[in-house]
Amino acid sequence: MAFTLRSVKVPPNSASLEEARGRVFDFFRQACRSIPTIMDIYNLDDVVTKSQLRSIIASEIRKNTHVTNPKVIDMLLFKGMEELNNIVEHAKQRHHIIGQYVLGRQGLAQDSDTKDEGTSDFLKNFYKSNYF
Amino acid sequence: MGLGSLASRTLTSTRILSSQYSRFRPIVTKPGLQSPDASSAAAAAQPEPTPPPPKKPVGGARFEFTNPDDAIEVFVDGFPVKIPKGMTVLQACEIAGVDIPRFCYHSRLSIAGNCRMCLVEVEKSPKPVASCAMPALPGMKIKTDTPLAKKAREGVMEFLLMNHPLDCPICDQGGECDLQDQSMAFGSDRGRFTEMKRSVVDKNLGPLVKTVMTRCIQCTRCVRFATEVAGVQDLGMLGRGSGEEIGTYVEKLMTSELSGNVIDICPVGALTSKPFAFKARNWELKGTETIDVTDAVGSNIRIDSRGPEVMRIIPRLNEDINEEWISDKTRFCYDGLKRQRLNDPMIRDANGRFKAVSWRDALTVVAEVALKVKREEIIGVAGKLSDAESMMALKDLLNNMGSNNVWCEGTGTNPNADLRYRYLMNSSIAGLEKADVFLLVGTQPRVEAAMVNARIRKTVRASNAKVGYIGPPTDFNYDCQHLGTGPQTILEIAEGRHPFSSAIANAKNPAIIVGAGLFERDDKDAVFAAVEAIAKKGNVIRPDWNGFNVLLLNASQAAALDLGLVPESSNSIESAKFLYLMGADDLNLDKVPADAFVVYQGHHGDRSVYRANVILPSAAFSEKEGTYENTEGCTQQTLPAVPTVGDARDDWKIVRALSEVAGIRLPYDTLAAIRSRMSTVAPNLLRTDEIEPAAFGPALSPDCTQKIDSTPFKVAVENFYMTDAITRASKIMAQCSAMLLKK
Repeated sequence: MAFTLRSVKVPPNSASLEEARGRVFDFFRQACRSIPTIMDIYNLDDVVTKSQLRSIIASEIRKNTHVTNPKVIDMLLFKGMEELNNIVEHAKQRHHIIGQYVLGRQGLAQDSDTKDEGTSDFLKNFYKSNYF
Repeated sequence: MGLGSLASRTLTSTRILSSQYSRFRPIVTKPGLQSPDASSAAAAAQPEPTPPPPKKPVGGARFEFTNPDDAIEVFVDGFPVKIPKGMTVLQACEIAGVDIPRFCYHSRLSIAGNCRMCLVEVEKSPKPVASCAMPALPGMKIKTDTPLAKKAREGVMEFLLMNHPLDCPICDQGGECDLQDQSMAFGSDRGRFTEMKRSVVDKNLGPLVKTVMTRCIQCTRCVRFATEVAGVQDLGMLGRGSGEEIGTYVEKLMTSELSGNVIDICPVGALTSKPFAFKARNWELKGTETIDVTDAVGSNIRIDSRGPEVMRIIPRLNEDINEEWISDKTRFCYDGLKRQRLNDPMIRDANGRFKAVSWRDALTVVAEVALKVKREEIIGVAGKLSDAESMMALKDLLNNMGSNNVWCEGTGTNPNADLRYRYLMNSSIAGLEKADVFLLVGTQPRVEAAMVNARIRKTVRASNAKVGYIGPPTDFNYDCQHLGTGPQTILEIAEGRHPFSSAIANAKNPAIIVGAGLFERDDKDAVFAAVEAIAKKGNVIRPDWNGFNVLLLNASQAAALDLGLVPESSNSIESAKFLYLMGADDLNLDKVPADAFVVYQGHHGDRSVYRANVILPSAAFSEKEGTYENTEGCTQQTLPAVPTVGDARDDWKIVRALSEVAGIRLPYDTLAAIRSRMSTVAPNLLRTDEIEPAAFGPALSPDCTQKIDSTPFKVAVENFYMTDAITRASKIMAQCSAMLLKK
């Protein structure tokens, strides 16, 4: 099946940082290629566009740019593959995808930055909660 | 043991029946058994153990030598300790660091000596001695850990537990019960009681105190408290022997405003808090030390909370302000914190109904209107429960908008904040104990500030001080002369025509207490001038004693006047177009024009909400860290005990956010920054737990040319139980005002 093929592909150790980097890009391409499947499975056409999903995946990967240890990168890639497999084989549900990946992103849809441009950190924190 | 097993093997091989009783047990001998001299020599050969260092007094107690030459020396468990003359054996042991168990003794009540748990052994005394009642004589050797003392304690414990019901699982006092703790520490492990226990019928003492009189151990602490501290002789001991019952005999409720303190005083679960019954165990609760804001006294309390809910309020010890007591309003107002809370910003739409909106939208709307209005038509009113930080922010915001019409509720239409002595309790609450004549002008301290009243009663009881009262007839719990009902009496005393003026003239430390209800009068300056004339004549204000006191009504008044919340014009409300109410619920909103835009920032949906156009939810005193100044000028801080409700924010944060949205950003972002701003205006508000005395006296006050109006003084607080937003929302306070107010 599709998922077993994919999970085999991630070997446990990369020799160097460049190899790990290459694997990260492979993973990104793989994820982007499975975006149409995901949109189809979970009926996300009304919620997000494909390019938005690509940006979301890119931002998730970008969260770990500070990592330099190839073994750690491999571990993160393994987890990423696992998550991708789960999503593609419909082990998750629509509300998981929407809650974990679509909502709450700063650069996206709802809260556009034009409203909050000139405000201070105080005001931004004030709108979020009382404790800051 | 090896020999023994060898021997047993040889024995069992020869015997037909081998029982374990035939097993050989080796006999060992000890050097002490051989000759008595050897054992004592062995013991004496050990070096003398160094005496342990003396212990500190119990609970960090401090004591004062009123006359250093009169110090006595006694020996407690072998430690010599110096004590002032007149102390009891129990107090001497406390100073020596030895805690003696007791049930009926309380340091603030008279000595009863009926529980007998404090028995200690004193050398050269045939019987153990009740240490709470026995005065310590010089050279006394007190022993608290001898077998005699321990046996006495076990015996007393056994007797107490004989008739005590097995209620621990259902008793509210479990976990904080003196009987439980002392029976674990000092009682014996088994009882010998096999008869039937006696039971007592429960008494109805009102909606606040739950009584299960079967659990009562007849220590009489509640009786002594009610007679001595509260001044009402409601409770008494009926019957004799094992048929003794504590009760009111006549079917009377405990109407005193200090009645909740018997709950703390009762060592067992006989008197417990009715609203708190069966709600929580004390180990589940987190205690937060904070300050009460329902009146101007600023009693120190501990809020016990479980998660996001306040479960009960307990007093904290503060010798200067409230000793160990708090009034009923303070103790039981906490359920008002759970009702009628504002949790979302709301805007009134065209139909007149409120709609919940986000903070962004609410602040944008308010800022829009504020910038369109002319500067004379902007008004800000701080409420009764506002803390100093939020009042500072409000004043800064309104000043930046160009308006100077900011004031605090209760300070009247024309407050004068120039001279601090004119709005503070200058002799301080603890200093009232030194006074010997009290003149109460237009103030009923029993309902306005119950702890100040307790202090006056303490002074009257201790030194037979005289009290004269001018105002509408009310009842007091101490002897008080009703001198008159209006300002005419003040003039009479000032001119010396009244018999009471001789009492003031002959007094060593006369104290005049003026009520803050007088701030609302139009002839306020004249009345104050007349009172100051009395003060001058009676030498009330001197370098060593300032007896001119003003008893404020709200927790926010002193800080407001210190920060300068004084309006520019006295009737600016009638021409207002933008009204910013920060918790102001007792304001008369009839005169506000119909097209004025009213913003209400508060935590309860009380009276002013009905006229408001925008509601901004803020935090109550139990949810924010705020600075409050009490009526004597002592700055204190509240701490957050529970998280804020819903989307509410701290008051000063709302004002700061509003200022930014309106374009006039205030320069502080953190609590420390706003406190440093406060320090530029009133630096005493940063020094917590310290009183800043008024710097100048009446020499600087201007002469007054107003005529005194002869309308008699009114009652400032009609309903003791319902004075502010929190107490008006509380169900317990509603029950109290229905049942306990004197009709």
